[in-house]
Amino acid sequence: MTRAAPTTLRPTTPREVRDAVLDTPGRLAVAGAGTAADWAGRLHDIDARLETTGLTGVIAHNPGDMTVSVHAGTPLRDLATEIGTHQQRVALDAARVGRGATVGGLVATADAGPSALVYGSVRDLVIGTTTVLADGTMVRSGGHVIKNVAGYDMAKLLHGSYGTLGVLVEVVLRLHPVPKATATVAVEGPLQAAAEHTARLVQSPLEPIACEWVSGDPGRLLVRLEGGESTLHLRVARLVELLGDGAHEVDESVWDEHAALTAGGPGPGGDGGDTGGPAVAPDGAVLRIGAAPTRLAPLVAELPATAVTAGLGTGVATVTVPGAAVAETHDAVAAAHGTSALRSRSADLDAPAWGPAPSGLPLLKAIKNRLDPDGRLSPGRFDPWM
Amino acid sequence: MPLDRRIVDEFVGVLGAADVLSDPIRTRTYECDGLTGYRVVPELVLLPRTAEAVAGCVKVCARHGVPFVARGAGTGLSGGALPVADGVVIGLNRLNRVLEVDVENRRAVLEPGVTNLEITAAASPFGLYYAPDPSSQQVCTIGGNVAENSGGAHCLKYGFTTNHVLSLEVVLPDGSLVTLGGDSAEQQGPDLRGVFLGSEGTLGITTKITVRLLRTPETMRTLLADFPSVAAGGQVVSDIVSAGIVPAAVEMMDALAIEAAEGATGAGYSLDTPAALVVELDGTAEECDDQFEQVKAICDKHGCTRLHIAGSPEERANIWRGRKAAFAAVGRISPDYIVQDGVVPRTRLSEVLDKIAEMADESGIRVANVFHAGDGNLHPLVLYSEANGEAEQAETLSSRIAELCVEMGGSLSGEHGIGTDKACSMPRMFGEEDLEAFHRVRAAFDPDDICNPGKLFPTPRLCGERPGKYRPHPLEEHGAIERL
Repeated sequence: MTRAAPTTLRPTTPREVRDAVLDTPGRLAVAGAGTAADWAGRLHDIDARLETTGLTGVIAHNPGDMTVSVHAGTPLRDLATEIGTHQQRVALDAARVGRGATVGGLVATADAGPSALVYGSVRDLVIGTTTVLADGTMVRSGGHVIKNVAGYDMAKLLHGSYGTLGVLVEVVLRLHPVPKATATVAVEGPLQAAAEHTARLVQSPLEPIACEWVSGDPGRLLVRLEGGESTLHLRVARLVELLGDGAHEVDESVWDEHAALTAGGPGPGGDGGDTGGPAVAPDGAVLRIGAAPTRLAPLVAELPATAVTAGLGTGVATVTVPGAAVAETHDAVAAAHGTSALRSRSADLDAPAWGPAPSGLPLLKAIKNRLDPDGRLSPGRFDPWM
Repeated sequence: MPLDRRIVDEFVGVLGAADVLSDPIRTRTYECDGLTGYRVVPELVLLPRTAEAVAGCVKVCARHGVPFVARGAGTGLSGGALPVADGVVIGLNRLNRVLEVDVENRRAVLEPGVTNLEITAAASPFGLYYAPDPSSQQVCTIGGNVAENSGGAHCLKYGFTTNHVLSLEVVLPDGSLVTLGGDSAEQQGPDLRGVFLGSEGTLGITTKITVRLLRTPETMRTLLADFPSVAAGGQVVSDIVSAGIVPAAVEMMDALAIEAAEGATGAGYSLDTPAALVVELDGTAEECDDQFEQVKAICDKHGCTRLHIAGSPEERANIWRGRKAAFAAVGRISPDYIVQDGVVPRTRLSEVLDKIAEMADESGIRVANVFHAGDGNLHPLVLYSEANGEAEQAETLSSRIAELCVEMGGSLSGEHGIGTDKACSMPRMFGEEDLEAFHRVRAAFDPDDICNPGKLFPTPRLCGERPGKYRPHPLEEHGAIERL
């Protein structure tokens, strides 16, 4: 049976999202700006595509409370500009923010960047959500205050759900002050040397915000600090001394290069955006992997990776490997008690999106069954698990 | 109705007779948690020593539809560990080992009965500590902290339990043992770890926890400042935040709370000030000193009448002792009291305190205020006398305060949980569709409704009852715990 090409729905209010979910028969793919369209399992048997990109704008920003509520289709980049005038920010530097990723999309894909070392992933910044479920139920959880333990935390359930459990329509975020000054220190060297530097760094009192190794010849370790205008240089000096020979301050633009390499360059989705960077090889695939920090460097070293950014303090790395090596990469990560997920891959690559299923899979299936019993939302994202 | 003898035998088969308590004299010890107005004596108390034994007990419960309630130290303040009639309590205190401190990866692996403070005690020789610090940290357990997503005075900067837990091994209500989360924050699918955290014991029982440890800050600076009004203190907090400073903690007390705390501890608080603020900064030496000067200048600008800077770790400890003793200390100025836990957006602190004062005046009941000023988490202490017949008025006022917080854009609870105590107020904060969705999540974990039933959700039976008066918990009477 051939299926008609999916229609595209682009609601502009939460109520229109609910109507779209209720009035559209069949299976819906939930999408934001499309910056992670080919992450995780491939969508299949879609009848309509529900885009949140019409659902934009700040609902409420109270600078004194350092919280903001936004429509879920708001690009984080735009939000950053708006709240930046108050010297506030969402402390999330995921690589695709610069390419227009939406707040809802970043939550649904559980994305994070180098500063997760201190500020955590999106899950640590979301304090409230409103979600439309597959049967049109509109669920609020959390609220507008940072400290709140009333009710189940639905934001966590949506975090990393890849559009399979509901459509995020509103997100409330906690904000942080924009630091008065930032600085980055680099030291050239291979992965193993960077891991040794990191081991000393995390035991020091210098409070690095990010600690990332970037592949190259021989590669380099980037360490970012944040602090006061008149005091940061003192800590930079301490950091340079700790890292030893060859450590030097570099321009903050190194983080744009880091983001481009993490994103794998312009992907097959064609949304390469404005950060440039090396393209994924025609048969390449980008995987996100996580492991205990001290296991990460040896794990990455054994992979046939052609490009790597590795958070040696967080244990989270993004690697580009040949398409044929995806399955063996999942296996290697699982053997190191880590987790792995396929991100970008070439259009014709048939490779597993996920490694071995977690022990909580029956629970995940039970939740899916309660919230979306007909399997309408984003089918395929967790293939082959469910 | 007593449990069928055959079911009791099955529990004995799993644990051995010595670890199954059925004598009412012994099970009565478990009749309440820190919210002592509600009491139910459980049929049995089960005291497993391993995760497998916990799973074995839960399997017996699942097979026969016996409701169970997990319990840590019993210090919770919302009745989350209140036993269920005809049900069993599963006490986790015997799973109390620190399994591993992994210095290089800065994490610790714990059994649920390890106390909050024992984590830092195990980590501190390596220059590490565990950040969430509920005031009952000497006795409250990490398993209970996971269930309640506990906070503490330092969560403004460092976050709550959920921000510090990497993975959980849990026994689900069908008795299966699963791991949620992993060795890094990178997830495989939805964050079930995060859903479980703070679910108040309604989704399963935690048997192993991996937490992140932080490096002990290089410098800590603490000050105690007096102000002519709570509003002036609130303005100081606003200005600190506007200056881009994120303090480790900002706490405020009003005159009544200070009177009680100072009387109990002699910690050095001024008895003639309407408001006192505790501000703590931590971090690298350069940043901390720089910001501390800014904070002092902000205090001066808003009419600070006395500024006391802790000059030694002992002085710092003393300031905190006064602050943390405030709850128990109100016992000195009132025979009975209720602790509330509502949250408002921080910028509405002055407004909510004015309204609370108005409501207190109207009802003729006094309210002392202690609060986490940095994040808007109030702990109004509703002071009353049971003997003078004020209990019902106090209960009404207390519920109205929590609901007022919701009306002002906040929450019923910042850190104590909904439990039994605030379940009836949930419809004030959440709509029918929200609560129905929560029910669906719950049913995915616990389709037979045997895992801590009757908590968190409003039920007709519960919401038709009124609790008895507050009675100090035995641990509190012995000075082992404080209320925060």
